[in-house]
Order: sequence, then structure tokens, then C-alpha cells
Amino acid sequence: MKHPVLANSSRLIIWWLVWLFITLGQLLLYYYSYGSFSNASIPDGILSLIIYSGIGLSLWYPFRYFNSTSSRTTAIIANLVFSGAISVTLWVLITKYLVQLILPKVNDYQAYWEATFPYRVGTGVFIYGLIVLAYYLFISLYRLSEKNAKEARLESLVKETELKMLRSQINPHFLFNSLNSVSSLTITDPDKAREMVIKLSEFMRYSLSKKDEQPVSLRSELENLRLYLEIEKVRFGDRLTTEEIIDEKCLETKIPIMLLQPLYENAVKHGVYESTDSVSIKTKIACGNGYVEIVISNDYDLAPSSAKGTGTGLLNVSRRLDLFYGNRASIKATKQNGIYSVSLFIPAEAFN
Amino acid sequence: MEKIRTVIIDDEAPARDIIRHYLKDLDYIDVITECGDGFSGLKTISLMKPDLVFLDIQMPRLTGIEMLEVVTEKPEVIFTTAYDQFAIRAFELNAVDYLLKPFPKRRFLDAVKKAADKIQSGAGNTEPASQILAKKPDQSPPVNRIVVRKGNAINLIPVENVKYVEAQDDYVMIYHTEGKALKQQTMKFYEDNLSKTDFVRVHRSYIVRVSEIKRIEPYGKDNHVAILKSGDKLPVSRTGFGYLKEELNF
Repeated sequence: MKHPVLANSSRLIIWWLVWLFITLGQLLLYYYSYGSFSNASIPDGILSLIIYSGIGLSLWYPFRYFNSTSSRTTAIIANLVFSGAISVTLWVLITKYLVQLILPKVNDYQAYWEATFPYRVGTGVFIYGLIVLAYYLFISLYRLSEKNAKEARLESLVKETELKMLRSQINPHFLFNSLNSVSSLTITDPDKAREMVIKLSEFMRYSLSKKDEQPVSLRSELENLRLYLEIEKVRFGDRLTTEEIIDEKCLETKIPIMLLQPLYENAVKHGVYESTDSVSIKTKIACGNGYVEIVISNDYDLAPSSAKGTGTGLLNVSRRLDLFYGNRASIKATKQNGIYSVSLFIPAEAFN
Repeated sequence: MEKIRTVIIDDEAPARDIIRHYLKDLDYIDVITECGDGFSGLKTISLMKPDLVFLDIQMPRLTGIEMLEVVTEKPEVIFTTAYDQFAIRAFELNAVDYLLKPFPKRRFLDAVKKAADKIQSGAGNTEPASQILAKKPDQSPPVNRIVVRKGNAINLIPVENVKYVEAQDDYVMIYHTEGKALKQQTMKFYEDNLSKTDFVRVHRSYIVRVSEIKRIEPYGKDNHVAILKSGDKLPVSRTGFGYLKEELNF
């Protein structure tokens, strides 16, 4: 912790202004107690200002020390009383000694000093109290802001970690099954195998390399999803078809990278995996009123599925929407007449 | 030497292609047909009685595991899948081998050799393939449906329709909303794979859906009896009563 006054030149100016004010008050007080001004009044005032201000500045160091070492209130109070007594005594005595040293010819100074002595002690204690309060205020404010900053750091760290975790959910079985298709195609159709490897690489590059959470355009997100669906089409052949109804003017909207991936994975998993008939995955994108609507739907087999969905994919997307947009985005899933459909509403200008 | 009659069951064409290609050079293998889903696989096996089946797990309509469970005359089976979590279950069903996609040719040929030796020695499909794995906990995801056979029909019973399961020697009787069905499986399997919050094993021979219980009455000195909504009465053992107490917080 830096010195609260010395660390900052504007604070130092305020500090001196306060002291000037105190000294003026002191002069008036002494005037009333002595009955008139002494020739030493002004130099006495200036010197006491300089000396007490110096003592005040150096008091910071013992204060900081008490505060960080002793925790017992009684110990802190004892320390404060002790350093207060020393400060006031030093101030009163040094002022007298120095004034007498500089102005030996002023003969009423002794009387002036004696008459004002009780006031000197009184103001000394009072000022000491003010300094202590100011320093304590500073220390507690400093701790508070430190705590706030720490909490903010922690919060952003948690958010970042969570986002990273939510993103890295590419299904490993997709990868292994695709690689198995490649392995097969190397024999039956080498050209197609090469094409598939390139598609897989592009898909992986997109999803792995942009690790930082940069928003991407809906256009590039869609291109990557098409790549994903093309890879799946190699595996499933006619069983997977795709349809798109897309309003081109919505595609410059920025969205979090890989936001939609889990929804398409779900469509493949619950639609294509479970059905012997051809399954169509439809993408509909429309925009207006500052919002983009994305609807992803697929046919599904009505028979009970072999493994119940855990809802992880949908939950991930909804959690990410929450983290990115707060309550300005929404997601809704519906099942009707053998069609499963997920609709997203996203603010169009959130990242501009 | 008679050729080994083989069927390939996988829902992805490229996956079937590579198996067929690997088998091409083996003159003792005769690939009689291919199937693209669990149902047609089951029909084909019952009809053609192959010696060897290459079986994928994740398939439409019936998974490879579910299919094998209801096959009456089991051929030798080599599983080919990208999922590693079904291995225990596969070996419980006496699979010859479990190949993880994509697999190298050498590994594949080893598996075929193992199966061919087993078929030609006439050992039959009786001894468990792996005792080592038997001790490990089952990692497969909880079941969502139970596949049973009634004559030639295959029924899919959604787990949410199951009321209780009763042990009957090597079989279990599954009581569900539309009747009951017999299946060759262990109580342990259902104890492990049915949701622990929905089902409780109240007795050595009974696993019951908690929400089906209407009331529990004392019976004899130490025992209780659970009366279900359907009116059925199931014995509750002392341990079972403990589980119920835990589950229902009384």
C-alpha cells in the first residue's frame, strides 16, 4: 500500500491546504487565549504547521504497520494512544525550541507559549484524531476496492473458464466415425477420401483454432455447419438431407463461435441416428426489429429411442446465450408431429 | 472346409464397405448379406442363421446390443463401433471381439481368426469371452427402453412404462403398463441400469418403480409388503425396506 498523500501530487496540495486552514484557526485560538498577537505568532504558526504536517505524514508508516500486524483491538488502541502522546509532545516541544532558536529576541514568546499551552495540547490531540480517522478511512476504502477488483477478476475468470468448457463439446464419436469413413473411402474412392479429409480439416481448424471467444459472423458459422453436415452426409448417404431458407441480409450478424454446433449435432443424433428413413435438417434464418431468428428443425422417429438425451447440448447453448447476451436472447425447443424444432432469438447488433 | 457364413450389420455404408473389403481376400469367409439397421439385422439372423456377424452398436430402431439380447440362436459376434463404453456389455453377451473404429486391418484379421477358430472348433457360443472385464462396473449409459421378443414380434417397452421387474431363474419378468414380458437378463443388470431415483430393489427378486407403490404394510415379524396402485402385492425384505426408507425419507 502506497502512502495515501505522497503517492499523488493533487492529494499533497489538498493536504497542505487543510493544514493552512488549521494553522489559521490555531492563530485565532491562540489570539483569544493570549489576549493579543505576539511578534512570534506568525513564525510560530508556520513552524507548527510544517512540523505537525511532517509528523502527520510519517505517522502513516506506524499505522500501516499496526494495522497489518496486530489484530487485537486493545493492542491497536494502545499503539494509537502511545504514538499520539509522542506526536503531540514532540510537536509542542520542537515548535517551542525552534521558534526560540530562530527568534531569540522576541521576549514575550515564553509567556505566549505558556498561555497557549493547554490549547496547543488540545489542538494537537484533535488534529491527531483527524489524521488517524483519515488514514483509517483510506485503509478501509483501499481494502474495499481491492476486494471488489479481486471479485471482478475472479468472476471474469470463472466466466471465461465456463465459456471454454461449454465450447469444447465436439462429439468424439463424430470424429471417430468420420475417420472410419475416410479409412473406408481410401479403398473404394480415394478422391472422395481426400475430399473428406480436407473437409474434416477445415471443420476442425474452424472449431479448434479460434480458441479465443471472438464473435464470428453468422455467415462463417453457417459455412462451418454446412461442412459438418456434408461430412455427416458421407457417413449416412441418402438418410440425411438438408434444406435452407435463409435471408441473406441477416448473415452479417455476429454470434459466439460454435454456438449452433450442438443443435445440429442433436439433430443428427436424435434424428438421423435413430431413423431408417431419410431425415431432413432444416435451417431457417430471418431477421427484423433488431433481432435474428434462427430455427433448426429435424424429423425424428416416434419409437422410444435407445438412449435418452441428457439435454446437455441444449443446456450448453442456453447457458452460452445467457453468458453472452444476458436476458436479451432466448431459446425454445418444441416437438410436434414428428418434427423437433429449436428456435433462437438473438439481438442483431450485440457485438457491433 | 465349409465357408463361414457372415453378415455385416452397420447403418453407415462406408463402414460396411471397409469390412467387406477386408474380408475379400479371406476365401473361407462368405459374406451372405449386409443390413443397415437393428431390425433388419435381427430378421436376417433369425432367417439365415449366419455363423458370424459384424455388428455396429449405434443404429436406428434397435442398437446392436439390444438386437443381440433378443436373438435366440446367437452367432459369433464381432462388434465394430466408435463407442468404447459398451465393451463390458458386449463381452457379457459373449462377443468374440470389440473393434473400435477406425480399426487397422491387422487388428481386424486377428478378430476374424479368433472367430473362425471358435466356429471351426465347434466350441459354440457358451463361455464368457472375458472374465477379466466382468469385475469392472458397467459404463454404458442408463437404458431408456427395453427390447423384448414375443414370438416373432419385437416390442420396445419405454422405461417410463415399466412398473416392476421380477426375477425368474435366468430370466426376468417385466411388468409394464401394457402387460408383462419375459427377458433373458439378470436382476443385477436392471439394478445397475434403471434410474436409482425412480426404482428401488425392495427384495432379492423385485425391483419396483417407487411412484407405483400405494402403501407399505407390515407383514409377519420383520417383513413388509408393498401394495401397488395396480393392486399387486410385492414382498419387501429388511434391506429393501431400508432402501425404501432412504428413498422416501420416512
